[in-house]
Amino acid sequence: MSFRYKSALLSLVSMAVIYGWFFATLMWGHSTPLANVGRLILTVILLAAVQTVGHIVLAITSREKYRGMDERERGFDRRATSVGYYMLIAGALIAISTLHMGANGPNMGYAVLLAIVIAECTRQAVFLFLHHRAA
Amino acid sequence: MFPIANNVRAEREARGMTQSELGAAIGLTRQTVAAIEQRRYSPSLEAAFRIARLFDTTVDALFRWEE
Repeated sequence: MSFRYKSALLSLVSMAVIYGWFFATLMWGHSTPLANVGRLILTVILLAAVQTVGHIVLAITSREKYRGMDERERGFDRRATSVGYYMLIAGALIAISTLHMGANGPNMGYAVLLAIVIAECTRQAVFLFLHHRAA
Repeated sequence: MFPIANNVRAEREARGMTQSELGAAIGLTRQTVAAIEQRRYSPSLEAAFRIARLFDTTVDALFRWEE
């Protein structure tokens, strides 16, 4: 596995787990708006910490020297970003439509955040799929 | 399989280079060099010229269209 593959896998898993926990507690928990904001800040800090430490560990343990993406990986990245973009547009439109389902401002904000997270997870998943298929 | 066949593996092995060394010399990853050699990826024109230049040969001698 290349460094980029491991990096994308780490990003996908950490985002899915950490934001998954955040949105699960948001949907099924009964907490105050202030507590939700606190959990969101905790989520962002936790994700940044996990990704930073994870990438340092990957760089140290990887047999291959770290370097930027090469032309083949940039091709995977372009296609993955393209798919992620359409997911983001679809998610943003759905998030806007929540206003017509009685959602208030903060809820619509969380719906937009969910759309961003899903789009980013899709981008990483497509990158991994293309990488895996070409291996 | 891509329609562009090549002699990259033979040329690399003739010079005693590893895929990682070739990749490092031309700015590609080891996985991309392996994919080129196995015809799972067609390199850009720039990469093809870089490989040819490194092996002191021509792009024509390294790559050919084969359906």
